[in-house]
Amino acid sequence: MRRMNYFEVFCLDRKLGIDAQALQSRFYELSRRWHPDFQQGRTPEAQAEALERSALVNAAYRALRDPIARVEYLVRLAEGRDTKGGAVVKPKAPPELLEEIFELLETLAEARAGGLDDDRRAELAVERDRLVKRLAAEEDRLKGSLATAWDSATPADRPRVLAALKDALAVRAYLRTVIDDLTNALEGQESDAAHHRH
Amino acid sequence: MAYSDKVVDHYNNPRNVGSFGKDTPGVGTGLVGAPECGDVMKLQIKVNLETGVIEDAKFKTFGCGSAIASSSLATEWLKGRTVDEAAVIKNTDIVTELKLPPVKIHCSVLAEDAIKAALADYKTKWGTQAPAEAAASASS
Repeated sequence: MRRMNYFEVFCLDRKLGIDAQALQSRFYELSRRWHPDFQQGRTPEAQAEALERSALVNAAYRALRDPIARVEYLVRLAEGRDTKGGAVVKPKAPPELLEEIFELLETLAEARAGGLDDDRRAELAVERDRLVKRLAAEEDRLKGSLATAWDSATPADRPRVLAALKDALAVRAYLRTVIDDLTNALEGQESDAAHHRH
Repeated sequence: MAYSDKVVDHYNNPRNVGSFGKDTPGVGTGLVGAPECGDVMKLQIKVNLETGVIEDAKFKTFGCGSAIASSSLATEWLKGRTVDEAAVIKNTDIVTELKLPPVKIHCSVLAEDAIKAALADYKTKWGTQAPAEAAASASS
């Protein structure tokens, strides 16, 4: 049997707009149905299948309950891959963002080398606040307008919307990393970027 | 994770760190990133507009040791090559030279992308003119 995808586990269409309450109820229901405690007295094959189902239900719920994780899963699914590695088409963050982040990392590296005085701290804190706001806006877009665009897209339109979703996820990933770098620097943790990333 | 000696060497003594002015004659800039790990890599080549040979290359990378080593090695390999010779550098060459483990292959891919982006930028800015003309227009 083909393994069900996570949307299918909950009998959902491959859409991003999911009623969180309904999803939770369905999760509880399926969890109970396949819970190992309720499989006593059944054949070993049936117990093994229940265990597999139970694991699938848990994984599906983890992937779908959070709206952003849901987008990440949708993208992986659309590309036919189960892991984060091996993206078919590389996502592209806007070049301006890459340039901005590069400059910010340069400033940060210089500030680290020269010691973080109060002025520099204040400057970096302002930058960080700005990026945190931008991250929130990007996440709102992923959960809001882009999700709606996916759900209402015609099949012909889907590749374009999917690409937009991927790019937005890339932007979010960059923003999160650089915000982490700034936070580490501001909180005085000596974290060499080379080490905390991997 | 155990890095190979060559990675450690490039990481501790990165070659050709720095930058050229983006609009300097003969300079091509590639700025690429890997969103999943947050690495950002800038690689620049400086081409002699009369000979088409890459005279100098510089990089600056914010990322892990393998990403730094990959781009450092790339700049070493680029120097002295023509633009066409530079285009054949493959990420697998970098993997072999630095003995990168499978989980670090994406760092070498990033370096190859940076080389391609720098070459493309060079061609856009300077490659449409014959080398001598480009030199003349650059100095005028």
